[in-house]
Amino acid sequence: MIRWLTRYVRLYFIQAWFAYRSLFSWSTPFNYFVSKFGFSFFALIYFVFIGQFVGLSDPLYIVLGNILMIPATNGVSGISLTVGNERQFGALSYLLGSPAPRAPLFLGRGFFHILDNFITVSVALPVAILLFHYDASQANFPLVMLCVLITSFTTSGMGFIMGSISLVNRDGWMITSTLSLALYILVGVNFPVTALPGWLQSVSYSLPMTRGILAARMALVGSGWDSIASLILGEVLIGMLYIAVGYGMFLVLERRSLVNGSLDSL
Amino acid sequence: MSNNAIEVNQLHKEFTTRVGFWSGRRKTTVAVEDISFNVHQGELFGLLGPNGAGKTTTTKVLSTLLLPTRGSVRVLGMDVVTETRTVRKRIGFTFGGARGLYGRLSGHDNLRYFAELYGLEPALARKRIAEMLEVVDLTERRNDRVENYSSGMVQRLHLARALLHDPELIYLDEPTVGIDPVGARELRQTIKNLIALKKTILLTTHYMAEAEELCDRIAIINHGRIIALDTPASLKRQVSGDTIFEIEIDAALLDELQRQLQLINHRLTIQVSEAYPNKKVNVRTDQPEAVLKYLTLFISSGHVHGLEVRNHSLEDVYVSIIQGKQE
Amino acid sequence: MIGRMLRLFWRQMNVQLQIRTFNLYTLLLLFVQPFVFSAVGMVLSQVAGNQKPDLVYTVIGGGILGMWSGLVFSSTFDIGRDRRDGTLEFIIGSPTPYSVVEAVRTLTNVLTGLVSLLAAFLVAVLVFDYTLDQVQVLPALVSLLLIVAGMWAIGVFLANFLVWSRLSGSIVEFFEFPVAVVCGFMYPIRILPEWMQAISAVFPIRWALEGLQAALYGVSDMNFYAGRWGMALALGLLFWLTAHWMERKVHDLIRVSGEMSSI
Ligand SMILES: Nc1ncnc2c1ncn2[C@@H]1O[C@H](COP(=O)(O)OP(=O)(O)OP(=O)(O)O)[C@@H](O)[C@H]1O
Ligand SMILES: [Mg+2]
Repeated sequence: MIRWLTRYVRLYFIQAWFAYRSLFSWSTPFNYFVSKFGFSFFALIYFVFIGQFVGLSDPLYIVLGNILMIPATNGVSGISLTVGNERQFGALSYLLGSPAPRAPLFLGRGFFHILDNFITVSVALPVAILLFHYDASQANFPLVMLCVLITSFTTSGMGFIMGSISLVNRDGWMITSTLSLALYILVGVNFPVTALPGWLQSVSYSLPMTRGILAARMALVGSGWDSIASLILGEVLIGMLYIAVGYGMFLVLERRSLVNGSLDSL
Repeated sequence: MSNNAIEVNQLHKEFTTRVGFWSGRRKTTVAVEDISFNVHQGELFGLLGPNGAGKTTTTKVLSTLLLPTRGSVRVLGMDVVTETRTVRKRIGFTFGGARGLYGRLSGHDNLRYFAELYGLEPALARKRIAEMLEVVDLTERRNDRVENYSSGMVQRLHLARALLHDPELIYLDEPTVGIDPVGARELRQTIKNLIALKKTILLTTHYMAEAEELCDRIAIINHGRIIALDTPASLKRQVSGDTIFEIEIDAALLDELQRQLQLINHRLTIQVSEAYPNKKVNVRTDQPEAVLKYLTLFISSGHVHGLEVRNHSLEDVYVSIIQGKQE
Repeated sequence: MIGRMLRLFWRQMNVQLQIRTFNLYTLLLLFVQPFVFSAVGMVLSQVAGNQKPDLVYTVIGGGILGMWSGLVFSSTFDIGRDRRDGTLEFIIGSPTPYSVVEAVRTLTNVLTGLVSLLAAFLVAVLVFDYTLDQVQVLPALVSLLLIVAGMWAIGVFLANFLVWSRLSGSIVEFFEFPVAVVCGFMYPIRILPEWMQAISAVFPIRWALEGLQAALYGVSDMNFYAGRWGMALALGLLFWLTAHWMERKVHDLIRVSGEMSSI
């Protein structure tokens, strides 16, 4: 049991280390800057201006939502992009041909992103609060950060689902990264989920992230553990469900991809 | 114009690459160091050398894909740096390996696309594509996607693409990589046919037998410098005129054979290796007749299990030149 | 000569459509991304208490955003793919100048992007009963043409960075959204802070877009259009000339570094 565990943990961190290394091997400070202030940051600004145009008086809701979304996005797209990248470099066959267990292998790659994004949020949130003169005297920051941390893990189940699509379809990363844009509508990033039509709301609540983001928002206005505990619990449960389903799907489709030899086709 | 298709004069090429993430530190790699050589019109010229010697770099400079750091390169009488477009029209090139074609398109569509890039009129393009597919034996598979080709088929399609516009000068960088023996033989025949058509060819390869069979002249290049340049025959002579005997005999008779051979007065080297349960004796000499006379005794004794007599192959020469320079 | 160009155009388009664009998933991108942004705009509009979303900005503007993102994405993707496949080297080594290949390629990508705009139009008309009565047809068409031309000019300009090196290529991806923000596809430029408006003045599409939006709202003042079109044309030309100048530089640079064959 202990050996099994250390093996998993070791593999996880080795993967993390390699992902980190290859992330920076040919890139420069500029690349880092790009990935940091890439899509998420400008999407935030874009939504703020759209909001301003349609007549919303307070952009804070949008700003906070988009910041809270940052750690979630890598959980979703990380694995799928990993599969896509490995495929591009022709290394997918070797990776999947190895006897290593899959979960640490693919989750490990997300580690530094999660860490990195966690730090980003810890910086961006106070900056946004200062910039928009938000009254944060009530905010319960440790609780906010807990929510952030939880969502970055609960979303990895969805990442496995999308990653397994990338396994059997070489354009999978394109589909999944496009479809994951829908999260900007569904999980309460730019407006409360209640603004959506009823049937869409039930879709929202069956996704990870929705409860996590809501809980973080509540913690920001001063709610304590008691009032958001059920949300957090729900988030964790949904997340675990997705991880179970996603991981299973990943294993099944991995077998499929070995059968039809689609691993390194581009 | 002289009858040189390629004139390389003091060609020097270095690459500068950045190292490290934060530091702006730069590193310079010299890929080709002041080399000069000429290739005659209608000649098949071979460029040999170990990995990283600078063969591909040289070929790319000659095909206008890299600019020289110093030195001049004239191709078909034109300067590769200033007359780039005209040069491109009249040369064809392939670089070994699987890259360089659109995997998601069929072989035929790949050729059609490149025919367009080389400015072939539609009627001519159709004719040439059909011919070239025939030449490289891909007519049957022309409508399959290239990603489903075997690596040998991809290599052949590369050759077809290089020949589409009927260039006068052709660079083939490791054209037989990954091709099976029969296919490689056919490809060599194709290359010979090109020479019969008065094309000039620059070939790089790691297969010495291939170079020996095909090339009129060979340059051996190492660490960016040409260390030997001659016809295969005189290269072999240059190293030595030795004949090699490989004799496999019963282990018990080894001492006897060695003693007998020592009695020959001429220069001769003996190497012994295991060929369980027998011994293999490798004899190099410049007096094969004398050795042969002694050997006949042994052959009649019935204890000789194998005898091979050969001259130096180009491979022996190549190895000795490369290793000689490294020492 | 013209026949040759048309054939090259046709062949290049075929290659691209087969390799990527006709690919279901790229189309998906052309629809999904504008849809998401439009939908967010609509719900926000509703949350703000409006009866009906602003069709020109929120719906059709989404289509323009789709066009733009599609252009940047597909240019990045195409050249990245040529780099990986090793075809970049063979294309550059052919006697057809790379600038011609790139011009044709970018045009294909811009024209494909029109699908996005068309879809947005259809949604506006069919779903939201947007009426076309007030539209100034001729100014709208001229503006649209200038948008296409402007995007094309920016496209060939950006392509240089992608060919130059992987590093400079990442700048292109970086610019996709900032340009979208300052050019205000989904909101009028006037709501931006002054300094952002100043930046957006550099981009031909911003001016052409203002023309299109005004035409859709039914502005009939020809002077308004003349100024916008003039700017769009002049800036488009400037981008194209810069691109042309850069192409020669880049062609030399990559042949010094050997970057075009690096993955
Ligand atoms: N674009 C480049 N940037 C930096 N260095 C390069 C580049 N291309 C080649 N080199 C270096 O130049 C040297 C010569 O490489 P080249 O590819 O010409 O060798 P080669 O003789 O073709 O080898 P092989 O037999 O392995 O194909 C090597 O040290 C290589 O690392
Ligand atoms: Mg080579």
